[in-house]
Parts: sequence; C-alpha cells; structure tokens
Amino acid sequence: MNKHSVFRTILAGIFALAAFVVTPAYAAPGDEYARPAKPAKQYTIGVLLPMLSNPHFVAQLYGYIDEADKLGAKVIWFDAGGYQYLDKQLSQMEDLIASKVDAIILVAVNGPGTVGAVAQAVAAGIPVINCNVMTDSDKVVTRIRSDDSIIGQMQADYMGQALKGNGKVAMLRGAPGTSWAENRGNAFKKRLAEKFPHITVVGEQYSQSTPADGLKLMEDFLQTFPQLDGVYNGADTVAIGAAQAVLASGKKGKIVITTADYQLDTEKFIREGVINATVVQQPGIIGRWGMRAAINTLEKREVPKVLWTPLLQVTSANADKIDMSTIRAPAGWKPPIR
Amino acid sequence: MPAVLIAMALFFGTINPNFWSVTNMGNVARQISILALISIGQTFAILSAGIDLSVGSLLALVSVVCAQAMLDFGLVGGIVIGVLAGCLAGLFNGLLIAKARVPAFIATLGMLVAARGLALTLSGGLPIAGLPHEFMIIGAGYWGLVPIPAVIAAVSFVVAFFVLSRTRFGRYIYAMGSNEEAAILSGINVVKYKILVYVVSGLFAGIAGVVLTSRVISGQPTLGEVQELYSIAAVVIGGGKITGGVGGIGRTLMGVLVLGMLSNGLNLIQISSYVQNIVVGAIIVIAVYIDLARERRR
Repeated sequence: MNKHSVFRTILAGIFALAAFVVTPAYAAPGDEYARPAKPAKQYTIGVLLPMLSNPHFVAQLYGYIDEADKLGAKVIWFDAGGYQYLDKQLSQMEDLIASKVDAIILVAVNGPGTVGAVAQAVAAGIPVINCNVMTDSDKVVTRIRSDDSIIGQMQADYMGQALKGNGKVAMLRGAPGTSWAENRGNAFKKRLAEKFPHITVVGEQYSQSTPADGLKLMEDFLQTFPQLDGVYNGADTVAIGAAQAVLASGKKGKIVITTADYQLDTEKFIREGVINATVVQQPGIIGRWGMRAAINTLEKREVPKVLWTPLLQVTSANADKIDMSTIRAPAGWKPPIR
Repeated sequence: MPAVLIAMALFFGTINPNFWSVTNMGNVARQISILALISIGQTFAILSAGIDLSVGSLLALVSVVCAQAMLDFGLVGGIVIGVLAGCLAGLFNGLLIAKARVPAFIATLGMLVAARGLALTLSGGLPIAGLPHEFMIIGAGYWGLVPIPAVIAAVSFVVAFFVLSRTRFGRYIYAMGSNEEAAILSGINVVKYKILVYVVSGLFAGIAGVVLTSRVISGQPTLGEVQELYSIAAVVIGGGKITGGVGGIGRTLMGVLVLGMLSNGLNLIQISSYVQNIVVGAIIVIAVYIDLARERRR
C-alpha cells in the first residue's frame, strides 16, 4: 500500500465512521463540500451516466439536477444504457462537445475506453469532472467518488466475522472494465487473504450489472459449489439476483450475502435477512458534489483533485435509522424525459 | 431519400445551429464510419440473398485480437492480425453457408454468439489496455478537416461501389441474389462467390473493428452489441431489398447517413435516448413501407 492510498483509506474510514458515530456538525448531509454562491451566469452542464436502469444513478441524477437548479445551471444528460455501450457514451460525449456545453460530468462506462473522449473534450476547452465510476484519463479536473477499496474491505470484514473466519465464498464482481468492479473485488480478496486466511474464494465471475445476470450466475454457483457459505457482490444490481437464487434454493440464512448500494429491493432483502449487509454509497451526495465542483471549476475556484464521498454500512439492525435523502431520489421523482 | 436527408439536416440545424459546425460535421462523420463499414459488408451479404448477423460480435472479436496482437507484435502486426481475424471469421461463415449449406441466417447467428464468446474468453471479459499512443491516430486523427475513420469509410465505399458495379464478382452477386437457380444454370460458380461475399463482409468488420479499437484505445469484448441490426437497418432504409438482388452501395450510404444523422441530431436537440429508439424504429418501418408502396404503383 503506498502512502497515498494509506491516507485515502484513513480518510474514507473516518468518513465511514463519522457517518455512524458522530452526528455531523453540518446543516445538511453532504455539506462537507459546500454549495458555492449562485453564479451570475447560467451555465450548461453535460452529464453522462452509464445505466439509468440502476436506481443508484437515478438518485445521482436527481442530485445533479436538483443541485443545478439551486445553482442556476442547466443540465443536458444522457444515459449510455449499460456498461457494454462504450461506443454510445463516446458519441454522447462528442455530441455534448459539439453542443458547446460549459463543462461535462462523466460517470464512465469503462476506464481505458474513455481516455480518448476525455482528451477530445479537454482539447475543445471543456473541463471534465469525473464522478463515481472512473476513466483512466489523467486530464480530468477532479474525481468525486466513494472509495471502492473501502467498500470491498468492509464487505470482507463483515463476511469474515459472519463466517467466523472459515468457509467458502463466491464473488459476483459486476461489470468488467469498470473501476468499481475492479477495485471493490480486488480489495475484498486482499482483505480476506490478510485477515481471514481460512476463507477461500472458490469462484468469481464478471457479468453485466443487472439482477437477471446476477440471478443466473448465482444459480450456477449454487450448482457448482453446493457447500457455499457466502457470496460477495460488487453491486446490489447483481446481489438482488443472487438473493433471489439463494431464496429459491431454500438456503436463506445459510449463505451470507454482502453487497454495495441500497435500492428498494436491496432494502427489502436486508429487512428480510436474505442479504446480510450492504455498504451504501450516497449517490445524491456524489451528484451534488459533482455539480458544485463543475460550477467551482467554471468560476475559476480551486477544486481538490479528489473528493471522497461518505459511506454507510446497513444491516437489518440499523435499517430503520438510515437517512434516505442522499441515497434515493424522492419517491415519485422521475428523470425528466425530453 | 436524399430529400429526407436534407430536410432532416435543415430541421436539426434550425433548432441547434451547432449542428452545422465543423466540429459536429466531423463528429457525425466519425460516428457513422463504423456503421458505414459494417454496412458495406452487410450490403454484399443481403444483395446475394443472404445476411450477416455476426458483424456486431465480430467488432468485439477483432477488437480483442487486434489489441492483444498489438501488445505482442507491435502496431502494424496488431492492425494486420485484427483485419485478418475478421476475414477468417467471414471465411468460416462462407464455408458453412456455401459448402455445408447451412442457411445464412443460422450460420451467422451461430457466429454472432460464438464470436462474442470467443472475444470474452480471449480477454477474460476485461478490456485490454496499454496500446501504443500512435494507434490513436486512426480513430481520433484528422486528414485536413476530415476525421480519419471517415476517410477510411469513404475509400471503402468507393472501392465497394466499383466492385459491385464494375466487376464480374459484383454482377454475379446481383445474379445470385435475384435468382440463384438461374445463376447456377448460367454457369456461375455460386459456391465460390458466396464464400467470397462473407469474406468481404468479414473484411469490413475487421477494418471497422480496428478503427473502433483505436477510438477506444483498448481491446473491448463488449463492443458492437446490436450493431448487426443497425447495419441491416441501414441497408433496407436505403432501399435495399431484404430478400436480395436489389440495392447497392449508394443506397446503403443513404441509409447509414439517415441513421447517423438521426442519432447525432436528436442528441443535439436534446431528445432523450429512449425517445430516439422509438423514432429510429419507426423510420426503419416507414422507409421500407414507402419503398414497397412505390414499387406496387409501378
């Protein structure tokens, strides 16, 4: 672990702890990175999302749009429709550049694949803010994200304790080529190997990030490894499918399921005890911070190179105490379809 | 169809003047070049009364092979091996269709699934990064004001136009597509030329795959999903007959331009991508309906 990542780990850890223990001294959640004054000019900000069929990104889009309203900015947003549609996101990026937006907020469908598109935007004089899922480009103004390594580690810690340091675990890693699937999965494995050497990872698979893909993979894992004790999920999109497979096989309570994020079905499975624990990002905060950073950049204010958004761990024990305002879009809110 | 194109361009340009900007015209040219390339191959296949459903998956297979070969053998090696991989897959399609008499729809459907699987297997499902930076020129570079991918597509169109209209191979494709029995009876070596049709389709999928790999400067096993359907759409929107024998490279170009301009223009006037799909679906059916109606009147 290099110096930077030690620092980052500690920082994110503090955030995670603060979310648990301390009632923040800020007026509203997410005010650690405060809203700037409303600029005199009306800016137009392009927002590129990877897959809006995941409620996580609906909540994030709500964050972008609501924050833009408060800052007098206009949002043009596009959805790539899935992590496999890299070519689509590149075209959308080019169309935002041609539309001469003032800044672009990019949630990348793919790390290496978006390098060229970011370079194009920067060459056209449009700053790029990278949120939540990372591009490999080094030309972005800032990266605003929750620490995916911590998400993996927290899952490993929960899994290790729940299994008392012994057992067989499978991994549903999520979408290949994305920073979240890579970093969370690698951190999970590393932490298990360090702290719980008697837990073995018997199988791991990537898939598209949907419940249907998770369901199918988990059914096959259950057939291949009848003695499975736990399953790690890179995101709740696949975990919801995995939970359904575990329920259907009658092994509820016998297999420890951990995951990340907190959409409605995930909450239901947490409360029913099918999913044991989830590490929850706060997409609303990611959205608001992304918009604030974009405005700050355009107003020529200093923006930190990295902004870590806080994490929460949710189990059936604390499910009643969670503040949903930063995790989900308000009930009934729908992305504005043009 | 040209009238429709002009009307579309005027419409988008009025709502968002940036549509006409040099940057955006460059964007349209670059965005359609991949579809243009695979649609050339699709034109050959459909004209011969066949179809090639594998071109989308071949983009992914070529991308992975090209990227891996480039890491192992360098820039030129990667490009050559990538294009060859496309040709080889096309040859396999052709042998299945012409020699083993498997219907084109089924043979290339098999390849659609298998090529995607092969791409995922070879890459382990992950993108292959670390390609040399000079390779970016193919996908992102310019020749004067024209993006390189568009230059490649334009040259390919000219060559394909020449092959279809001025060579024996081209005439035989029309003959096979109109009436295969008659073509056989008149002594055309249908087996040979059918194989060649799918090699050509694989070749253009190979070129497109290399260009796309450069655009994303990495080998990506998930590229090109549903692109085969858009290439078929381009052929029929342009006025190519889905059962073969009627159509041509110029018409396909029209179809490609309609599809490309639609998706770019609708993005620029900020129509959501969900609504865009509805529009594109409607256009495919309407275009073919108008063509058929005109034919009936004659």
